[in-house]
Amino acid sequence: MAHEAPFQLLHSELIHYICKTADGADSENGRSVTKLENMGFRVGQGLIERLTKDTARFKDELDVMKFICKDFWTCVFKKQIDNLRTNHQGIYVLQDNKFLLLCHMSAGKQYLEHAPKYLAFTCGLVRGALSNMGVKSIVTAEVSVMPACKFQVMIQKL
Amino acid sequence: MSRQSNRTTDSKKMNSELFTLTYGALVTQLCKDYENDEEVNKQLDKMGYNIGVRLIEDFLARSSVGRCQDFRETADVIAKVAFKMYLGVTPSVTNWSPAGDEFSLILENNPLADFVELPDNHSTLVYSNLLCGALRGALEMVQMAVDVKFAQDTLRGDGVTEIRMKFIKRIEENLPAGDE
Amino acid sequence: MAVCIAVIAKENYPLYIRSVATQNELKFHYTVHTSLDVVEEKISSVGKALGDQRELYLGLLYPTEDYKVYGYVTNSKVKFVIVVDSSNTSLRDNEIRSMFRKLHNSFTDVMCNPFYNPGDPIQSKAFNGVVSGMMVQTG
Repeated sequence: MAHEAPFQLLHSELIHYICKTADGADSENGRSVTKLENMGFRVGQGLIERLTKDTARFKDELDVMKFICKDFWTCVFKKQIDNLRTNHQGIYVLQDNKFLLLCHMSAGKQYLEHAPKYLAFTCGLVRGALSNMGVKSIVTAEVSVMPACKFQVMIQKL
Repeated sequence: MSRQSNRTTDSKKMNSELFTLTYGALVTQLCKDYENDEEVNKQLDKMGYNIGVRLIEDFLARSSVGRCQDFRETADVIAKVAFKMYLGVTPSVTNWSPAGDEFSLILENNPLADFVELPDNHSTLVYSNLLCGALRGALEMVQMAVDVKFAQDTLRGDGVTEIRMKFIKRIEENLPAGDE
Repeated sequence: MAVCIAVIAKENYPLYIRSVATQNELKFHYTVHTSLDVVEEKISSVGKALGDQRELYLGLLYPTEDYKVYGYVTNSKVKFVIVVDSSNTSLRDNEIRSMFRKLHNSFTDVMCNPFYNPGDPIQSKAFNGVVSGMMVQTG
């Protein structure tokens, strides 16, 4: 059986590497966040392709979104999204009360500023998965209290 | 919900696929960032080392494996416990040197390289080099200095994937090892 | 056994197309292209019919005098088209299905190859091998 420890360590190494190489060149860490996001995007494309290989065709956008919250999230993060809300106009909010990639960080305020780096890959993961299912979106994340996390998905209408 | 949820059985496999795909994204990113394969190999080894020195703690806590008597026992633990636990495969341990200080891990399938087809312009890329660094880093934490490298790789047309490990020396406990 | 196998991106341009006799290549491209309309039709009718299975396999798209054209669509909206000779009457629906499954599995591996850019033409040796195994051997 394969374990999640290697993934978590790899994820940390990824952040460490990307942020270190960005230092100096551009002080703003927006660029490294974008890089991490893009890597997540590609992984999301591949993962969802595998995961939906044996499922029936999706009915609509909401059907895809539910799949992300249940099956996709369970496979990646060992649990389902705790709460999915939508305004039915293309905005979805996915809430995870105990987000795996934040669990190893202390709840202190000083870590909050590092949170974006730890969420960028996952934002990309979701955007890549949706994109491969034909749903174009922008995904952002916010943390107010560790390790709870909200992902906001804004669907881009054609 | 109309969708049947019979996929829980796949979740363990999926998690290793997540690792495999994330690793792939890392390697291709490094290939973009560095001029040549040699530097990518070096970087992968370095990152592997960082992972290894931390993974060993998790491993010791989880496996309840005690101190190994000799290098042969170490080889067995790596193949049968560590690889199985983290990569879901059990390589075979073979090709011992007469002195017993060198052996090979033969992987019939390498989860890191599951879906990979190397492009022609990366003929010297050691795609899975992270594994070498991880083994080196982990063993260093248990006072063993080793040399690890790929001897064969199915990605480059070999029949099997072979990791060659050589024992160098025992590291004295009172010396600072690795990064503090 | 197929005379033509094609993979079409969700934006409806070909990612991969291979056919047997080279002199007919254009004709096959045309056949595949025409079949896409039928695929769209089948997909968009989802949910309208009662007891809809929403299967990935779309079945026979249409028969022409010389060929039968079958279709399959992945959840990522990538289409697979298999063209077989009409004279080949021994081919069962189940065999067509299993050919599509094999294609799909191999395509999924292509998508997971980190060196592959999704949306680019498929040049994978493994995928090529799978397709070769399904094509009618000529010459």
